[in-house]
Amino acid sequence: MSGSVAEVPKAPAPSAEHATSWRKNRKLDQWIAFWSVPFFFNLFGLVFVPLSWMMPPRSPSSSTPHIVDFMHSHNLLIACVILTLAYGLAPVSNACYLMQVKRMSVSPAFRYSMMIGAITGAIVGMLFPMFCFGLGAFRPGYNSGVLTMLYDFGYLAFIGSLGCFCVMWMAFGLAIILDENGILPKWLGYYTIWQYVTELMAAPVWIVKTGPFAWNGLMTFWFAMTLYVSWQIIVYVCIYRAIKNQPEAELDNASPELRPEAVELRSGTSA
Amino acid sequence: MTALIRNPLTIVWALLAAVTIVSSLIALDGGAAHQINTTVTTAVLLIAAVKAYMVIWHFMEVRRAPIWLKATTGGWVLGLFTLLLSFYYASL
Amino acid sequence: MTNVAEGVTPGVDNSRPDDSRRGHVPGDSSMWFFVIGDLVIFGVYFVGYMYFRGQNHELFLQSQARLNLDIGAINTVMLLTSSLFVALGTEAARAGNRVAALQRFWIALAFGAAFPLLKMFEWIPEICSGLTPGTNLFFMYYYVMTGMHLCHVALGLVIMCFILRNLRTSKAPKISFVETGATYWHMVDVLWLVLFALLYLMR
Repeated sequence: MSGSVAEVPKAPAPSAEHATSWRKNRKLDQWIAFWSVPFFFNLFGLVFVPLSWMMPPRSPSSSTPHIVDFMHSHNLLIACVILTLAYGLAPVSNACYLMQVKRMSVSPAFRYSMMIGAITGAIVGMLFPMFCFGLGAFRPGYNSGVLTMLYDFGYLAFIGSLGCFCVMWMAFGLAIILDENGILPKWLGYYTIWQYVTELMAAPVWIVKTGPFAWNGLMTFWFAMTLYVSWQIIVYVCIYRAIKNQPEAELDNASPELRPEAVELRSGTSA
Repeated sequence: MTALIRNPLTIVWALLAAVTIVSSLIALDGGAAHQINTTVTTAVLLIAAVKAYMVIWHFMEVRRAPIWLKATTGGWVLGLFTLLLSFYYASL
Repeated sequence: MTNVAEGVTPGVDNSRPDDSRRGHVPGDSSMWFFVIGDLVIFGVYFVGYMYFRGQNHELFLQSQARLNLDIGAINTVMLLTSSLFVALGTEAARAGNRVAALQRFWIALAFGAAFPLLKMFEWIPEICSGLTPGTNLFFMYYYVMTGMHLCHVALGLVIMCFILRNLRTSKAPKISFVETGATYWHMVDVLWLVLFALLYLMR
């Protein structure tokens, strides 16, 4: 507790050292990772929607001239530039989740599954489309047949790459449900299982090109997006709370005097 | 064994199984021509609603549940089947 | 119902009468969150199906004619019976009658396992005769919805195995866990009741 009472009242700091500088905050790494997420998603949203009109997905049954125009459009070019530069933020946002999953009582197998799922998912689900649309935007010489193939490839990679994300969401959901430390609420675990369901729902995009089960369809895209966006926001809020409530002593980079060994030494007992 | 047969749950089950067979027969008979048939559709959907709610009420023990659970599950059955029948009739 | 001579688990308190004013939520409330949410999600699917059917009655009617209504009906009764034994098993577990609970859950598992088996007898001939998800919109809905449901059934069977293990091995079976699993299984049953009417019966 700080000695001077005349100061602007603020919440008591866990330790006097931490009261002043935000740079000394031991959770800074997590907070940076955390806040990178909305930045990343907003950027992503900007790139995909108003900038390039890549989202909502264009029709898989578009005519060739439309496809060629789209692939050569100026906006797609700018979108791809931004995407190429910002892609690196994907791992950071996943790191944010994994830091909290690490605290759970479940087997590390869940964490590793999540990690690998996230990695493969990001490569296939984001990197591949980036290449496909980037090729169309940056290399004007391709014939329309090749461009149509790249168009299909890009969208299918983006929406049809369910396997990796299935693993990731299932691992995340199960980890939350089975966790005995209560890091994240149980209902969130169930909500995450629905993420897995939306990935499964995306499977038909490989087969049909029109109607509600195409990659721009009511069932596979719009409904899945509703579930996904709401989940993303909710998980985000829960992660915020989890980081906030994480005891300082538990952190991997906890300051020395808070570490369990130091506490034992001081109190002269063993826990 | 008789205790099992006289258990209210078993009676519910017997009703549900019987009604399943009845609605199958309705579809097989009235719906044999595979044409639009509002009578068959309304009958089977209403029967399905009743069956669903009986499973929820008796098997899922919502009859002993707090009011919010009764309202939510009841609301789901009511809302779903209202929408289903509305869309069906609207499309005719 | 009170066959408490054998297998009574000491310490199980079944003396508390139901407080009908407050009500009893069976199992974890987080599972109810999942159940209601899942019902809503499938509900959206059901309504979507009805909407698209409305735009193409002919196609849906003709396609429906190719379905195997007999297996559909038998499967419905299988799931209903399985649900019955889950409910009876839950009652027995609550009364402390571990032997009866185990018997009933085994029977429930058997009836439940019959569902995917019969489904294979339904799907395989259909696929072999050329009726695939890509055939038309009805069949896409049919395979996607029954497929999604089948995944739920598989998960439910796994959960039931865990319940059986819990009843068999632990000294004081966790009633809350039994109720939670039972709630999930009944939801699977409810979903199928609607699917049966929408896919097989309605015209």
